[in-house]
Order: sequence, then C-alpha cells, then structure tokens
Amino acid sequence: MPWSAAIDQVIARGLFDRIPATFATYTYDRLREWDLLFPAEQGYFERLLSLLDRSGPAAVARVFSPLAAVEENMGVDRRSWNSNGFNLGHIDFLQRSPHYAEWRRVISAIFAEIDPLLEVELGRNGRPRLVIVTSPSELPAAPDRMWTRIAQRGKRIALNVPESLDVKKYLPTLLCGGECAATNGTSRPPYSMWHISAGGPFPPFHTGEVHLSYEDLTPYRDSLMAAVRNLLKEKQIAGPQQLSAELKNLKVVPPSGVAGTDALLTSFLRSVLLAGNGTLLINNTFAEWAAVQLIRRARPERLVVSFSVRNKLKPFSSLLIYSDQETSSPVETQMDTLGTHVDLEVFYQYIWQECEKYVEYRNNTAYLFVGEGMDEMLVIGPPDFPLLGMNAEPDLAAVHAAAKEWLGT
Amino acid sequence: MLRFSKRWFLRLAGLAIADRFQSGLFARPLPPARQPGHKVIIVTFGGGVRYEETFTDAGLRNIPRLAELQPNAHFFRNCQNSGVLSHYNSTASIVTGNWQRVDDFGFQRPASPTVFEAFRKGAGAKASDAWAICTNKSFPLIGSSGDPGAGANVLLPKQLLLDAVEEVIRKNPRQGVADRENVLRQLNGILAEGYEGVGWTVFQQSRQLDQEVRTTLTRGLAEFIHGPETPTSGDELTFFLTREVMREFAPRLLLVNFWDMDVAHWGSYSLYLQAITKTDRLCGMLWEEVQSNPQYKGKTTLLILPELGRDGDQNTSNGFLNHRSGDPSCRNAWILALGGGIQPGITERPVAHVDVAATAAEILGVKRGAITGRVLSEIL
Repeated sequence: MPWSAAIDQVIARGLFDRIPATFATYTYDRLREWDLLFPAEQGYFERLLSLLDRSGPAAVARVFSPLAAVEENMGVDRRSWNSNGFNLGHIDFLQRSPHYAEWRRVISAIFAEIDPLLEVELGRNGRPRLVIVTSPSELPAAPDRMWTRIAQRGKRIALNVPESLDVKKYLPTLLCGGECAATNGTSRPPYSMWHISAGGPFPPFHTGEVHLSYEDLTPYRDSLMAAVRNLLKEKQIAGPQQLSAELKNLKVVPPSGVAGTDALLTSFLRSVLLAGNGTLLINNTFAEWAAVQLIRRARPERLVVSFSVRNKLKPFSSLLIYSDQETSSPVETQMDTLGTHVDLEVFYQYIWQECEKYVEYRNNTAYLFVGEGMDEMLVIGPPDFPLLGMNAEPDLAAVHAAAKEWLGT
Repeated sequence: MLRFSKRWFLRLAGLAIADRFQSGLFARPLPPARQPGHKVIIVTFGGGVRYEETFTDAGLRNIPRLAELQPNAHFFRNCQNSGVLSHYNSTASIVTGNWQRVDDFGFQRPASPTVFEAFRKGAGAKASDAWAICTNKSFPLIGSSGDPGAGANVLLPKQLLLDAVEEVIRKNPRQGVADRENVLRQLNGILAEGYEGVGWTVFQQSRQLDQEVRTTLTRGLAEFIHGPETPTSGDELTFFLTREVMREFAPRLLLVNFWDMDVAHWGSYSLYLQAITKTDRLCGMLWEEVQSNPQYKGKTTLLILPELGRDGDQNTSNGFLNHRSGDPSCRNAWILALGGGIQPGITERPVAHVDVAATAAEILGVKRGAITGRVLSEIL
C-alpha cells in the first residue's frame, strides 16, 4: 500500500466498514494516490483517520448517522461503493440523485464538525506565512481603485518609490531586495515556497521555491491542447466527466524543468491545466486557479502570485476551447487592460478568501497586494507584521526586509 | 466536445419534423387559449447568472434593457431552481414542467413530455409552430421527450456555423476565417448541399417548408457574416436566427436559449459581465422584434429567466466560475414576464422553474398533462 503504516493499521481495523459508503470510497480513492498528495494533504488524512479511529464507534456513528440516512434515501448500494475507487458512475449517481443537495449538506456538516478538531493540532504548530499578489503596471487604475473588494480588511500603505526607478526593477526589489537569485537560506519543508506567474519566468527567490510560469509552460500547454483536440476527434466523449477520465490516461511529454521531473508537480500541473476551465487559455485564470489549488492542497508558507495582462478573446473563441487563440484566428491580438483590472479585483478576493478558510493561514499570514510601479500597496495581516507598525513610508527594499523578517528566512 | 456531422446535426435539429402529427390524431377538447393565436416565447437568460449581477442595486448596471422593461413587466422575485444545476437539466426542467435528472450533457431526451409536445398534441399545431433555438450545443434533444416529430424544431445555430467555419479553414487554411466572402460562399454551399438524407427527407411532403427553412438559415447566416452589428458570439447568432424564424414561420411556442455568459467558467469576471450585458441587449432586441412584428405584437407573452445561477463568492471552490455548489446563489433566480395583457407588478411568493411550462401551456390553451409545475396565475 502506498500510504503510511499508521493509515494501514487504521484501515486494517475496519474503519472504512464503519463509515458510510460514499465517504469511505471517496477517502480511499484519495489515499490510493498517496504519492501524488502534497505533504499537507498526507498529514490531513493521517490526522483525519487517526481521529476517527480513536473516537470510538458510538462517536463515529453519531457524526455519520445523517449521511447514512441520506445514503439510504439515495439507494446507495454498498457493494458498488468499494475500494475500487470513486468512479464516473458514482459521480453521476450522486449528482443526479434528488437527494444530492442534502448529501452535500450533510457532508459539509460532517467536515464542519471534524475539521475544527483537526485544526487544533495544526494551530498549535502554526508558523508565519506570507502571500504576495502582484498586478501588472499596465492596469488603468490608480491605487484608490485597486483591491476594492478587500481593502477594508487591511491598510493601504504608502511606499517610497523614487520616480526614477525603472518599473522593471520594481518587483525584483520588492520580492528579492534587488536582483533575484536563488539563495541558500534557512531550509524550508518541500513544496512550501511557490511563485505562480501569469506572465514570464521570474528568478527564484529562494532555494527550493517552485516556480510555475504561464509563458514558460507554453510548449506544454500547446502539447496538452493538441492531445485533447486529437482525443475529441478520435473518440465520442459524452461530457466533462468522461473527458476527465480520458485525460487521466493522456500521454503528453512532461514540461521541462522541475515540473516535469517531479511526479507530484507534473500531476498538479496537469490537474490545473486540464481542470476544464480557462487555465489553458487565460493567463490570469491559470495563475488564480493554480494558487487556489495550491492553497487548498499544499498550504504554502510563502506564495507569490504574479498576475499579468489578459489578451482580448477573439470572436467565437468559445467554440475553440482547446485551440490556441493566437493561431486559430487571424484577428489581431489585443491586450484587455480594463477587463484585466475587473478580473483581478475578484481574484484578489478569492485568493485571500481561500487562504482564510484554513487554520494554517488565519491570524498569522501577511498578505501584500502590490501594483507594479505603484506608490501604495494593500497590507492585510496581524498587527505584529512589521510593515503595519511603521511610521515612515517604507521603500521597496524595506518591504522585502519586513517580509524576510516575518518569515524568518 | 462532440463532433456532429452536418447531416446528424440537421437530423437532430429537428428541421425535418413532419407535419404528420398535425392531423386529427390528437384532436380533443381544449382549454380556451388566452387569445386565439396567442404566442409564448421562453428565453433562458442563460449560461448561469447570479442574482447579484442582475436584479440587485449593484447588478442593474449590467442589465439596462431589462431594468428599463421591468416597470411594464411582471417580476417574480423568488424563482427557485430545485433541480440538477446543469444547463441541460435546468432548461429541460423549464420546458417539461418537471425536475429533470437526465444526462447533464444532452445525451438523453427529457424524461417527461415537453410543453412543445403538449402544445403540438393539444392544439394540433404543425411542426413549424414550435421551435427551440439554442446556443448551447448540447441541446439537440431538448425538443421532445420521445418522438422528435412530435416536439419542437431544435436549431443549434452555432453548431451550424462552426461546421461551416471549420470547413472553410480546412479547405483554405491560409485565408482564415476573416475572409467573409469566402465564408459566405462556403456557408451557402453547405446549406445548399444534399438534405435528402436521413431526417431531412421527411420534408419531401412539404418542399415549400424545406425551402423556407433553408432560406431562413441562409439569410440568418448571411446577416451574421455581413450584418451591420457584426455579431461575434453564439448568442448573437441565436438572436438573428430566432428573428428569422419569427419572421418566416411565426411559431406560437418558442424557446430561445442564450448561453454565452457561461464564459464565466474561463475565469474572467469581466467577460462574464460583458456576456450578461450582451444577453440583456439581445433580450431587448427580441422584445423590440415582438413589438414590431405584427404576428407577435399584442399577442405574445415573453418569459425571461436564468436557468440557473452561479456559485456565490463565499465558501465555494471558486465563486462565479462554477454552478454546482447548490448554494442559494446557484438556485435563486427571477422571472420577468412581458406581454400583452400582463399586469405590471412584483410577486414575492416563491415560484419555480417548472412553473414556466405550466404557465405556457395555460396561455396556449392546452392541457398540462404530466406537467407538475404550477401556473403563474399573476400573469394570466
């Protein structure tokens, strides 16, 4: 079995036979891909199963009894929900059931009861975290029109930015204190430092930082799109679920660099790019969705999300979801700076909101929302985050220093 | 993505529906129609839109035309989608009057009779009297629960165009799609080529109708290519073809399925807002057509509603991008009812998507049969 010995013992003691079939099957399905789970996910499942195992049959039955009742109403046949995994038939069955909404509600209620218990342990071992979200300089908005959905949760801080500063040096100074280069700082757990870029590559801030760049991934994205187009031509695909199943077996040359040599990263990247939304087509959607998935799955300690300007979509592009917009239409490519601004206002909120769902981030995360070239930024964070106590306007190097101090890097 | 062949598309599109069911086979005493010849147009303000981006203080800016029409309309503020939150099932629930739980992507017909069938059967209406014109390409089976000849003509304008454009690109890749004359020639060529295959041959008993349909499509597509408004989306094409169908055939029952705001799945809030505003504009243009077309003016009820909402910003995986969470933001919608004889006003009581089919049947003066939704009595 791929999972840990502790989980093996819990399973051997028959836990999955004592909990409702849909919950057990889903959980088992996740465990089967143990090597493709981030450490944070593995830790979650270990804590979850350990808690259920030591809670005693009566307590477990009480938590799961509403789900057992809904499953009975749904007509769940335990024999078809087994350790072979969660399949398309299961998904179809659940989504088409008249009791689907109720099923979702009781599942949410179960996690609402269990997760706080699991979070206590994590909360005790909390570490400061940092999330930096940068916006491109081309946005047609002054600072007072930026971050409007979340501004009330933080403080706008004026920055001392020399007028002579080359805008190209703005982010390197803020993120790295000058020129960016991998440094051998304090060792950090694997997959704890990330930079997701909707534009081009950016030199790493720290040894071990995982960097995914939309532009860097162009050959891989093109390969995926071509493979999906071929798949759709060759097979009758009955819908997204069937497509998803086919995509699991899709053979595509992995991307270059670490994302292609690390099976977990390759798997993560595929899941982001083949999610069925606009991650293959729209640079900022890629960055936002990758960030949200990372937060949910890997819980990074330092996350930088760099947005870029989105191009205008071309006429009837909705027909060509797996086609390269640049080559499939002769219409000239144009930047959509205003549209990008509107898009990002929502994404700032979603990224902050996703973090705040998890105990690892609550009350110990500093969020810096930065507009490239701007002399103001939005800071959301605990009162002891150094920038929030400064009286003078910090320059970009001071922002970098404060971030380093906060993370202890 | 499905790869429909032209012939298969035309067969599924139902353009071949025979008039064989308009005989007295189903003749029976009918409830009185609202007015003789009264018409119903159901519009799905579609692709999934949240309440907050439409009929709220902040949302009204996205729907200036509907906001302008509302004072003269009857507005149902609380319309609930209690069914499966997919486009096909939601829309099938609207046209059947029963919550549908069939394949989400259109591979099954609705599981209970549609209002199209009830109308055709109950009123003895001919095939050209009931149409479904759908941007969503997975809707070819939405016109009937059984025999396609007994339901609506289903027209998928975008699929038709896609096939044509693909053909142009395939045959002459260097010239690309911007060469409009070439595209038009190809479109005409495709429309003119053999319709005598499976399905289309049913029209042999009505060659005139065959020609009319063909003319309608050609004109609609030609307007798409050369029109002054330079349409750029599936919904705009759907509007143009809807208008052509209204002018040529004046159907009494029509479903217009708009869908472009589902671009939200791609993760661009601005494109989603643009699509809402575009759909609003198209609804306004559709109402103008109703008002200017003597076949419709004063004897048409227009029912506009979102088939579903989208996930709320809070506590969901990615907010407006999706519509499967089942939260209130996904389920809460509205209905705007316009037309002759409708008393303007606002109804607060909860109504449901399945009530639309019941109301349409009542207005058309046919028995509701298997429809379980309740009539929106406020607009009768």
